[in-house]
Amino acid sequence: MNLILENLPLFLIGLRATLLLAVVTLIASTAIGVVLGSLATLKSRPLRILVALYVETFRDIPLIVTIFAIFFGAPYLGVPLEPFPSVALGLSLWGGANGAEIVRAGINSVPHGQPEAARALGLHTGQIYLLILWPQALRAVLPAYTGLLALLFQSTSLGALVGVTEFLKAGGLVIERSTVMLGINPAFQIYAFVLVVYFVISSSLSLLSRRLERRLARGGERNIVAARDAASV
Amino acid sequence: MEFDIAYLLRYLPSLLRGLALTVQASGIAILLSILVGLVGACIRVARVPVLSQLIVAYVEFIRNTPLLVQLFFVFFGLPALGLTLSLFWSGVLSLTLWAGAFQVENVRGGLAAIAPGLKEAARALGLNQAQYLRLVGLPLAVRVGLPSMLNTCVSVIKNSAYLSAIGVQELTGVAFDRIASDFRAFEMLAVLLAGYLSVVLSLSAAVRLLEHRLQAPFRR
Repeated sequence: MNLILENLPLFLIGLRATLLLAVVTLIASTAIGVVLGSLATLKSRPLRILVALYVETFRDIPLIVTIFAIFFGAPYLGVPLEPFPSVALGLSLWGGANGAEIVRAGINSVPHGQPEAARALGLHTGQIYLLILWPQALRAVLPAYTGLLALLFQSTSLGALVGVTEFLKAGGLVIERSTVMLGINPAFQIYAFVLVVYFVISSSLSLLSRRLERRLARGGERNIVAARDAASV
Repeated sequence: MEFDIAYLLRYLPSLLRGLALTVQASGIAILLSILVGLVGACIRVARVPVLSQLIVAYVEFIRNTPLLVQLFFVFFGLPALGLTLSLFWSGVLSLTLWAGAFQVENVRGGLAAIAPGLKEAARALGLNQAQYLRLVGLPLAVRVGLPSMLNTCVSVIKNSAYLSAIGVQELTGVAFDRIASDFRAFEMLAVLLAGYLSVVLSLSAAVRLLEHRLQAPFRR
Protein backbone atom coordinates (compact mmCIF):
# COMPACT_ATOMS: atom_id res chain seq x y z
CA MET A 1 0.00 0.00 0.00
CA ASN A 2 2.83 2.38 0.95
CA LEU A 3 4.54 1.53 -2.29
CA ILE A 4 1.44 2.55 -4.25
CA LEU A 5 1.11 5.86 -2.38
CA GLU A 6 4.82 6.66 -2.81
CA ASN A 7 4.56 6.06 -6.55
CA LEU A 8 1.21 7.76 -6.99
CA PRO A 9 2.58 10.46 -9.37
CA LEU A 10 3.90 7.79 -11.74
CA PHE A 11 0.60 5.88 -11.62
CA LEU A 12 -1.29 9.10 -12.38
CA ILE A 13 0.94 9.85 -15.38
CA GLY A 14 0.20 6.34 -16.61
CA LEU A 15 -3.53 6.63 -16.01
CA ARG A 16 -3.63 9.94 -17.87
CA ALA A 17 -1.95 8.36 -20.92
CA THR A 18 -4.36 5.41 -20.73
CA LEU A 19 -7.43 7.66 -20.64
CA LEU A 20 -6.05 9.93 -23.37
CA LEU A 21 -5.38 6.91 -25.57
CA ALA A 22 -8.92 5.63 -24.93
CA VAL A 23 -10.54 8.98 -25.80
CA VAL A 24 -8.43 9.56 -28.92
CA THR A 25 -9.11 6.06 -30.25
CA LEU A 26 -12.82 6.30 -29.43
CA ILE A 27 -13.11 9.47 -31.54
CA ALA A 28 -11.13 7.98 -34.44
CA SER A 29 -13.02 4.66 -34.21
CA THR A 30 -16.32 6.52 -34.29
CA ALA A 31 -15.29 8.43 -37.41
CA ILE A 32 -14.21 5.23 -39.19
CA GLY A 33 -17.21 3.32 -37.86
CA VAL A 34 -19.83 5.85 -38.96
CA VAL A 35 -18.37 6.24 -42.46
CA LEU A 36 -17.77 2.53 -43.14
CA GLY A 37 -20.89 1.34 -41.32
CA SER A 38 -23.05 3.71 -43.38
CA LEU A 39 -21.32 2.75 -46.64
CA ALA A 40 -22.09 -0.89 -45.83
CA THR A 41 -25.82 -0.11 -45.82
CA LEU A 42 -25.79 1.46 -49.30
CA LYS A 43 -26.97 -0.55 -52.29
CA SER A 44 -23.56 -0.68 -54.00
CA ARG A 45 -22.20 -4.24 -53.88
CA PRO A 46 -18.48 -3.40 -54.44
CA LEU A 47 -18.63 -0.90 -51.56
CA ARG A 48 -20.19 -3.48 -49.25
CA ILE A 49 -17.51 -6.01 -50.16
CA LEU A 50 -14.72 -3.49 -49.54
CA VAL A 51 -16.11 -2.59 -46.12
CA ALA A 52 -16.58 -6.28 -45.23
CA LEU A 53 -12.96 -6.91 -46.25
CA TYR A 54 -11.72 -4.13 -43.97
CA VAL A 55 -13.91 -5.23 -41.06
CA GLU A 56 -12.97 -8.91 -41.33
CA THR A 57 -9.25 -8.18 -41.67
CA PHE A 58 -8.97 -6.04 -38.57
CA ARG A 59 -11.30 -8.20 -36.49
CA ASP A 60 -9.50 -11.43 -37.42
CA ILE A 61 -5.87 -10.38 -36.99
CA PRO A 62 -4.91 -10.33 -33.31
CA LEU A 63 -4.89 -6.70 -32.14
CA ILE A 64 -1.40 -7.14 -30.71
CA VAL A 65 -0.13 -8.17 -34.16
CA THR A 66 -1.72 -5.10 -35.78
CA ILE A 67 -0.07 -2.80 -33.27
CA PHE A 68 3.33 -4.51 -33.57
CA ALA A 69 3.05 -4.44 -37.36
CA ILE A 70 2.42 -0.68 -37.34
CA PHE A 71 5.13 0.12 -34.80
CA PHE A 72 7.84 -2.14 -36.26
CA GLY A 73 6.69 -1.96 -39.89
CA ALA A 74 6.24 1.80 -40.32
CA PRO A 75 9.98 2.61 -40.43
CA TYR A 76 10.34 0.28 -43.45
CA LEU A 77 7.75 2.36 -45.29
CA GLY A 78 9.82 5.45 -44.53
CA VAL A 79 7.42 6.86 -41.91
CA PRO A 80 8.76 5.95 -38.47
CA LEU A 81 6.01 6.36 -35.86
CA GLU A 82 6.39 7.10 -32.15
CA PRO A 83 4.89 4.53 -29.75
CA PHE A 84 1.81 6.59 -28.85
CA PRO A 85 0.62 7.26 -32.43
CA SER A 86 1.38 3.64 -33.39
CA VAL A 87 -0.86 2.29 -30.65
CA ALA A 88 -3.52 4.94 -31.30
CA LEU A 89 -3.56 4.02 -35.00
CA GLY A 90 -3.72 0.26 -34.36
CA LEU A 91 -6.50 0.60 -31.78
CA SER A 92 -8.45 2.97 -34.04
CA LEU A 93 -8.27 0.64 -37.04
CA TRP A 94 -9.51 -2.22 -34.85
CA GLY A 95 -12.11 -0.08 -33.08
CA GLY A 96 -13.25 1.30 -36.42
CA ALA A 97 -13.86 -2.23 -37.73
CA ASN A 98 -15.98 -3.07 -34.69
CA GLY A 99 -17.64 0.35 -34.78
CA ALA A 100 -18.60 -0.19 -38.43
CA GLU A 101 -20.33 -3.45 -37.52
CA ILE A 102 -22.25 -1.72 -34.73
CA VAL A 103 -23.29 1.26 -36.91
CA ARG A 104 -24.34 -1.07 -39.72
CA ALA A 105 -26.49 -3.12 -37.33
CA GLY A 106 -27.95 0.10 -35.88
CA ILE A 107 -28.93 1.48 -39.29
CA ASN A 108 -30.38 -1.87 -40.33
CA SER A 109 -32.48 -1.89 -37.14
CA VAL A 110 -34.53 1.04 -38.49
CA PRO A 111 -37.61 -0.41 -40.24
CA HIS A 112 -37.14 -0.44 -44.03
CA GLY A 113 -40.42 1.37 -44.65
CA GLN A 114 -38.98 4.59 -43.26
CA PRO A 115 -36.17 5.27 -45.77
CA GLU A 116 -38.50 4.10 -48.54
CA ALA A 117 -41.19 6.55 -47.43
CA ALA A 118 -38.59 9.32 -47.19
CA ARG A 119 -37.41 8.53 -50.70
CA ALA A 120 -41.02 8.71 -51.92
CA LEU A 121 -41.34 12.13 -50.27
CA GLY A 122 -38.39 13.32 -52.34
CA LEU A 123 -35.54 13.29 -49.76
CA HIS A 124 -32.15 12.43 -51.20
CA THR A 125 -29.77 9.85 -49.72
CA GLY A 126 -27.81 12.36 -47.63
CA GLN A 127 -30.98 13.71 -46.06
CA ILE A 128 -32.28 10.21 -45.38
CA TYR A 129 -29.13 9.33 -43.41
CA LEU A 130 -28.89 12.67 -41.62
CA LEU A 131 -32.56 13.09 -40.72
CA ILE A 132 -33.92 9.55 -40.44
CA LEU A 133 -31.39 6.75 -40.13
CA TRP A 134 -28.59 8.21 -37.97
CA PRO A 135 -30.77 9.74 -35.23
CA GLN A 136 -32.61 6.45 -34.70
CA ALA A 137 -29.50 4.30 -35.08
CA LEU A 138 -27.82 6.43 -32.41
CA ARG A 139 -30.29 5.23 -29.76
CA ALA A 140 -30.05 1.62 -30.90
CA VAL A 141 -26.26 1.47 -30.75
CA LEU A 142 -25.70 3.21 -27.39
CA PRO A 143 -25.37 0.01 -25.30
CA ALA A 144 -23.10 -1.71 -27.82
CA TYR A 145 -21.05 1.46 -28.18
CA THR A 146 -20.46 1.78 -24.46
CA GLY A 147 -19.37 -1.86 -24.52
CA LEU A 148 -16.87 -1.06 -27.28
CA LEU A 149 -15.52 1.84 -25.22
CA ALA A 150 -14.89 -0.57 -22.33
CA LEU A 151 -12.96 -2.87 -24.69
CA LEU A 152 -10.95 0.02 -26.18
CA PHE A 153 -10.10 1.18 -22.67
CA GLN A 154 -8.87 -2.32 -21.75
CA SER A 155 -6.92 -2.69 -24.99
CA THR A 156 -4.89 0.48 -24.37
CA SER A 157 -2.80 -1.74 -22.07
CA LEU A 158 -1.14 -3.06 -25.25
CA GLY A 159 0.67 0.28 -25.37
CA ALA A 160 2.95 -1.05 -22.62
CA LEU A 161 4.49 -3.49 -25.12
CA VAL A 162 5.76 -0.85 -27.54
CA GLY A 163 6.88 1.64 -24.90
CA VAL A 164 3.94 3.93 -24.13
CA THR A 165 4.03 4.81 -20.43
CA GLU A 166 0.37 4.05 -19.85
CA PHE A 167 -1.08 2.55 -16.68
CA LEU A 168 0.25 -1.02 -17.06
CA LYS A 169 3.73 0.23 -18.01
CA ALA A 170 3.66 2.57 -14.99
CA GLY A 171 3.05 -0.50 -12.83
CA GLY A 172 5.97 -2.27 -14.50
CA LEU A 173 8.23 0.72 -13.85
CA VAL A 174 7.28 0.83 -10.16
CA ILE A 175 8.15 -2.87 -9.87
CA GLU A 176 11.53 -2.36 -11.57
CA ARG A 177 12.30 0.68 -9.45
CA SER A 178 11.50 -1.15 -6.19
CA THR A 179 13.55 -4.16 -7.24
CA VAL A 180 16.60 -2.01 -8.00
CA MET A 181 16.32 0.48 -5.15
CA LEU A 182 14.74 -1.54 -2.33
CA GLY A 183 15.69 -5.08 -3.32
CA ILE A 184 12.09 -6.29 -3.12
CA ASN A 185 9.86 -7.71 -5.83
CA PRO A 186 6.34 -6.31 -5.37
CA ALA A 187 5.00 -7.73 -8.70
CA PHE A 188 2.07 -9.43 -6.96
CA GLN A 189 0.80 -6.34 -5.12
CA ILE A 190 1.42 -3.90 -7.97
CA TYR A 191 -0.19 -5.98 -10.72
CA ALA A 192 -3.10 -6.77 -8.38
CA PHE A 193 -3.55 -3.02 -7.88
CA VAL A 194 -3.33 -2.42 -11.64
CA LEU A 195 -5.98 -5.12 -12.22
CA VAL A 196 -8.31 -3.54 -9.67
CA VAL A 197 -8.05 -0.06 -11.22
CA TYR A 198 -8.80 -1.42 -14.69
CA PHE A 199 -11.69 -3.38 -13.21
CA VAL A 200 -13.26 -0.37 -11.49
CA ILE A 201 -13.23 1.79 -14.63
CA SER A 202 -14.18 -0.93 -17.11
CA SER A 203 -16.98 -2.39 -14.98
CA SER A 204 -18.55 1.06 -14.54
CA LEU A 205 -18.68 1.30 -18.33
CA SER A 206 -20.14 -2.22 -18.60
CA LEU A 207 -22.73 -1.35 -15.96
CA LEU A 208 -23.66 1.81 -17.89
CA SER A 209 -23.98 -0.28 -21.05
CA ARG A 210 -26.39 -2.71 -19.35
CA ARG A 211 -28.41 0.15 -17.81
CA LEU A 212 -28.77 1.79 -21.23
CA GLU A 213 -29.86 -1.52 -22.74
CA ARG A 214 -32.52 -2.01 -20.04
CA ARG A 215 -33.75 1.56 -20.19
CA LEU A 216 -34.06 1.53 -23.99
CA ALA A 217 -35.88 -1.82 -23.81
CA ARG A 218 -38.27 -0.40 -21.21
CA GLY A 219 -38.86 2.64 -23.40
CA GLY A 220 -40.29 0.31 -26.02
CA GLU A 221 -37.18 0.27 -28.21
CA ARG A 222 -37.24 -3.10 -29.91
CA ASN A 223 -34.21 -2.88 -32.13
CA ILE A 224 -31.26 -2.51 -29.80
CA VAL A 225 -27.86 -3.71 -30.93
CA ALA A 226 -26.91 -6.04 -28.08
CA ALA A 227 -23.76 -5.10 -26.20
CA ARG A 228 -22.39 -8.63 -26.36
CA ASP A 229 -22.46 -8.52 -30.16
CA ALA A 230 -20.45 -5.33 -30.05
CA ALA A 231 -16.95 -6.47 -30.69
CA SER A 232 -14.72 -9.38 -31.35
CA VAL A 233 -12.13 -9.49 -28.61
CA MET B 1 13.37 -3.31 -49.96
CA GLU B 2 11.79 -6.19 -51.83
CA PHE B 3 10.09 -9.35 -50.73
CA ASP B 4 12.65 -12.15 -50.35
CA ILE B 5 11.24 -15.67 -50.65
CA ALA B 6 14.58 -17.33 -49.86
CA TYR B 7 14.71 -15.45 -46.56
CA LEU B 8 11.22 -16.63 -45.74
CA LEU B 9 12.06 -20.25 -46.55
CA ARG B 10 15.15 -20.13 -44.35
CA TYR B 11 13.03 -19.38 -41.30
CA LEU B 12 10.08 -21.54 -42.25
CA PRO B 13 11.00 -24.36 -39.83
CA SER B 14 11.14 -22.02 -36.82
CA LEU B 15 7.90 -20.33 -37.91
CA LEU B 16 6.25 -23.74 -38.11
CA ARG B 17 7.53 -24.56 -34.62
CA GLY B 18 5.99 -21.28 -33.49
CA LEU B 19 2.70 -22.16 -35.13
CA ALA B 20 2.78 -25.57 -33.42
CA LEU B 21 3.21 -23.83 -30.06
CA THR B 22 0.32 -21.47 -30.88
CA VAL B 23 -1.90 -24.44 -31.69
CA GLN B 24 -0.74 -26.36 -28.60
CA ALA B 25 -1.32 -23.51 -26.15
CA SER B 26 -4.69 -22.58 -27.64
CA GLY B 27 -5.79 -26.21 -27.87
CA ILE B 28 -5.15 -26.93 -24.20
CA ALA B 29 -6.68 -23.60 -23.14
CA ILE B 30 -9.78 -24.21 -25.28
CA LEU B 31 -10.41 -27.66 -23.77
CA LEU B 32 -9.87 -26.48 -20.18
CA SER B 33 -11.95 -23.33 -20.65
CA ILE B 34 -14.91 -25.31 -21.97
CA LEU B 35 -14.67 -27.46 -18.84
CA VAL B 36 -14.64 -24.29 -16.71
CA GLY B 37 -17.62 -23.00 -18.68
CA LEU B 38 -19.73 -26.15 -18.21
CA VAL B 39 -19.01 -26.47 -14.50
CA GLY B 40 -19.35 -22.72 -13.85
CA ALA B 41 -22.65 -22.42 -15.69
CA CYS B 42 -24.11 -25.41 -13.81
CA ILE B 43 -23.10 -23.89 -10.48
CA ARG B 44 -24.71 -20.59 -11.52
CA VAL B 45 -27.94 -22.18 -12.72
CA ALA B 46 -28.23 -24.54 -9.73
CA ARG B 47 -27.70 -21.47 -7.49
CA VAL B 48 -25.16 -23.24 -5.27
CA PRO B 49 -24.70 -20.79 -2.37
CA VAL B 50 -21.30 -19.00 -2.10
CA LEU B 51 -19.86 -20.84 -5.13
CA SER B 52 -22.45 -19.23 -7.37
CA GLN B 53 -21.52 -15.73 -6.18
CA LEU B 54 -17.84 -16.55 -6.61
CA ILE B 55 -18.47 -17.53 -10.24
CA VAL B 56 -20.30 -14.23 -10.86
CA ALA B 57 -17.37 -12.30 -9.37
CA TYR B 58 -14.86 -14.34 -11.42
CA VAL B 59 -16.73 -13.74 -14.69
CA GLU B 60 -17.14 -10.00 -14.06
CA PHE B 61 -13.52 -9.57 -13.01
CA ILE B 62 -12.07 -11.38 -16.04
CA ARG B 63 -14.34 -9.62 -18.51
CA ASN B 64 -13.51 -6.19 -17.13
CA THR B 65 -9.72 -6.45 -16.93
CA PRO B 66 -7.26 -6.59 -19.84
CA LEU B 67 -5.95 -10.05 -20.72
CA LEU B 68 -2.43 -8.62 -20.92
CA VAL B 69 -2.55 -7.50 -17.27
CA GLN B 70 -3.99 -10.88 -16.24
CA LEU B 71 -1.08 -12.55 -18.02
CA PHE B 72 1.50 -10.32 -16.28
CA PHE B 73 -0.19 -10.98 -12.94
CA VAL B 74 -0.04 -14.75 -13.45
CA PHE B 75 3.53 -14.80 -14.75
CA PHE B 76 5.20 -12.11 -12.59
CA GLY B 77 2.82 -11.96 -9.61
CA LEU B 78 1.84 -15.51 -8.71
CA PRO B 79 5.39 -16.67 -7.81
CA ALA B 80 4.96 -14.49 -4.68
CA LEU B 81 2.29 -16.99 -3.59
CA GLY B 82 4.69 -19.87 -4.25
CA LEU B 83 3.07 -20.72 -7.58
CA THR B 84 5.84 -20.55 -10.17
CA LEU B 85 4.79 -21.72 -13.62
CA SER B 86 6.84 -22.00 -16.80
CA LEU B 87 6.34 -19.44 -19.58
CA PHE B 88 4.15 -21.85 -21.52
CA TRP B 89 1.94 -22.85 -18.59
CA SER B 90 1.57 -19.28 -17.36
CA GLY B 91 0.24 -18.47 -20.81
CA VAL B 92 -2.08 -21.48 -20.89
CA LEU B 93 -3.42 -20.68 -17.40
CA SER B 94 -4.13 -17.04 -18.33
CA LEU B 95 -5.83 -17.99 -21.59
CA THR B 96 -7.89 -20.64 -19.76
CA LEU B 97 -9.02 -18.25 -17.02
CA TRP B 98 -9.85 -15.59 -19.61
CA ALA B 99 -11.78 -17.85 -21.98
CA GLY B 100 -13.40 -19.77 -19.11
CA ALA B 101 -15.25 -16.63 -18.02
CA PHE B 102 -16.68 -16.16 -21.52
CA GLN B 103 -17.59 -19.85 -21.77
CA VAL B 104 -19.51 -19.68 -18.46
CA GLU B 105 -21.63 -16.92 -19.99
CA ASN B 106 -22.03 -18.80 -23.28
CA VAL B 107 -23.25 -22.01 -21.61
CA ARG B 108 -25.41 -20.05 -19.17
CA GLY B 109 -27.00 -18.26 -22.12
CA GLY B 110 -27.77 -21.65 -23.64
CA LEU B 111 -29.29 -22.92 -20.37
CA ALA B 112 -31.39 -19.76 -20.06
CA ALA B 113 -32.78 -20.30 -23.57
CA ILE B 114 -34.35 -23.65 -22.59
CA ALA B 115 -38.13 -23.45 -22.29
CA PRO B 116 -39.14 -23.52 -18.60
CA GLY B 117 -41.65 -26.27 -19.38
CA LEU B 118 -38.80 -28.71 -20.01
CA LYS B 119 -37.34 -28.11 -16.58
CA GLU B 120 -40.74 -28.51 -14.95
CA ALA B 121 -41.33 -31.71 -16.92
CA ALA B 122 -37.96 -33.06 -15.77
CA ARG B 123 -38.89 -32.24 -12.16
CA ALA B 124 -42.27 -33.90 -12.56
CA LEU B 125 -40.58 -37.05 -13.87
CA GLY B 126 -38.51 -37.16 -10.71
CA LEU B 127 -35.13 -35.96 -12.02
CA ASN B 128 -33.12 -34.00 -9.48
CA GLN B 129 -31.18 -30.84 -10.32
CA ALA B 130 -27.98 -32.70 -11.24
CA GLN B 131 -29.82 -35.22 -13.40
CA TYR B 132 -31.76 -32.44 -15.13
CA LEU B 133 -28.54 -30.58 -15.98
CA ARG B 134 -26.71 -33.70 -17.17
CA LEU B 135 -29.52 -35.32 -19.17
CA VAL B 136 -31.64 -32.40 -20.35
CA GLY B 137 -30.09 -28.99 -19.70
CA LEU B 138 -26.49 -29.26 -20.84
CA PRO B 139 -27.08 -31.20 -24.09
CA LEU B 140 -29.64 -28.59 -25.15
CA ALA B 141 -27.63 -25.64 -23.81
CA VAL B 142 -24.49 -26.68 -25.66
CA ARG B 143 -26.49 -26.99 -28.85
CA VAL B 144 -27.92 -23.49 -28.48
CA GLY B 145 -24.69 -21.96 -27.19
CA LEU B 146 -22.33 -23.71 -29.60
CA PRO B 147 -21.86 -20.82 -32.06
CA SER B 148 -20.88 -18.38 -29.31
CA MET B 149 -18.74 -21.04 -27.62
CA LEU B 150 -16.85 -21.60 -30.87
CA ASN B 151 -16.43 -17.86 -31.36
CA THR B 152 -14.75 -17.76 -27.96
CA CYS B 153 -12.48 -20.61 -29.11
CA VAL B 154 -11.50 -18.57 -32.19
CA SER B 155 -10.72 -15.65 -29.86
CA VAL B 156 -8.45 -17.92 -27.81
CA ILE B 157 -6.35 -18.67 -30.91
CA LYS B 158 -6.13 -14.96 -31.77
CA ASN B 159 -5.32 -14.01 -28.19
CA SER B 160 -2.63 -16.66 -27.86
CA ALA B 161 -0.54 -13.98 -29.62
CA TYR B 162 -0.44 -12.20 -26.22
CA LEU B 163 1.85 -14.99 -25.01
CA SER B 164 4.68 -13.41 -27.01
CA ALA B 165 4.54 -10.54 -24.48
CA ILE B 166 6.10 -12.73 -21.76
CA GLY B 167 8.49 -14.38 -24.22
CA VAL B 168 6.72 -17.53 -25.34
CA GLN B 169 8.09 -18.41 -28.78
CA GLU B 170 4.73 -18.89 -30.49
CA LEU B 171 4.01 -17.66 -34.02
CA THR B 172 3.92 -13.93 -33.19
CA GLY B 173 6.95 -14.20 -30.91
CA VAL B 174 9.07 -15.96 -33.54
CA ALA B 175 8.06 -13.53 -36.29
CA PHE B 176 8.76 -10.34 -34.34
CA ASP B 177 12.06 -11.69 -33.00
CA ARG B 178 13.18 -12.03 -36.62
CA ILE B 179 11.93 -8.54 -37.48
CA ALA B 180 13.87 -7.12 -34.54
CA SER B 181 17.12 -8.90 -35.36
CA ASP B 182 17.21 -8.92 -39.18
CA PHE B 183 15.89 -5.44 -40.00
CA ARG B 184 13.38 -6.90 -42.47
CA ALA B 185 9.66 -6.62 -41.86
CA PHE B 186 7.52 -7.49 -44.87
CA GLU B 187 8.19 -11.23 -45.06
CA MET B 188 7.34 -11.91 -41.44
CA LEU B 189 4.32 -9.59 -41.45
CA ALA B 190 3.02 -11.43 -44.51
CA VAL B 191 3.43 -14.75 -42.68
CA LEU B 192 1.50 -13.46 -39.66
CA LEU B 193 -1.25 -12.03 -41.84
CA ALA B 194 -1.58 -15.25 -43.82
CA GLY B 195 -1.23 -17.48 -40.74
CA TYR B 196 -3.85 -15.85 -38.52
CA LEU B 197 -6.28 -15.00 -41.33
CA SER B 198 -6.27 -18.57 -42.64
CA VAL B 199 -6.76 -20.15 -39.21
CA VAL B 200 -9.44 -17.68 -38.08
CA LEU B 201 -11.31 -17.53 -41.39
CA SER B 202 -11.45 -21.31 -41.81
CA LEU B 203 -12.68 -21.72 -38.24
CA SER B 204 -15.29 -18.98 -38.70
CA ALA B 205 -16.48 -20.71 -41.86
CA ALA B 206 -16.74 -23.96 -39.90
CA VAL B 207 -18.77 -22.16 -37.21
CA ARG B 208 -21.21 -20.83 -39.83
CA LEU B 209 -21.54 -24.28 -41.41
CA LEU B 210 -22.23 -25.84 -38.03
CA GLU B 211 -24.75 -23.13 -37.19
CA HIS B 212 -26.51 -23.94 -40.45
CA ARG B 213 -26.51 -27.67 -39.68
CA LEU B 214 -27.79 -27.16 -36.14
CA GLN B 215 -30.63 -25.01 -37.42
CA ALA B 216 -31.70 -27.69 -39.89
CA PRO B 217 -34.42 -29.34 -37.74
CA PHE B 218 -36.03 -25.95 -37.12
CA ARG B 219 -36.11 -24.79 -40.74
CA ARG B 220 -39.15 -25.06 -42.87
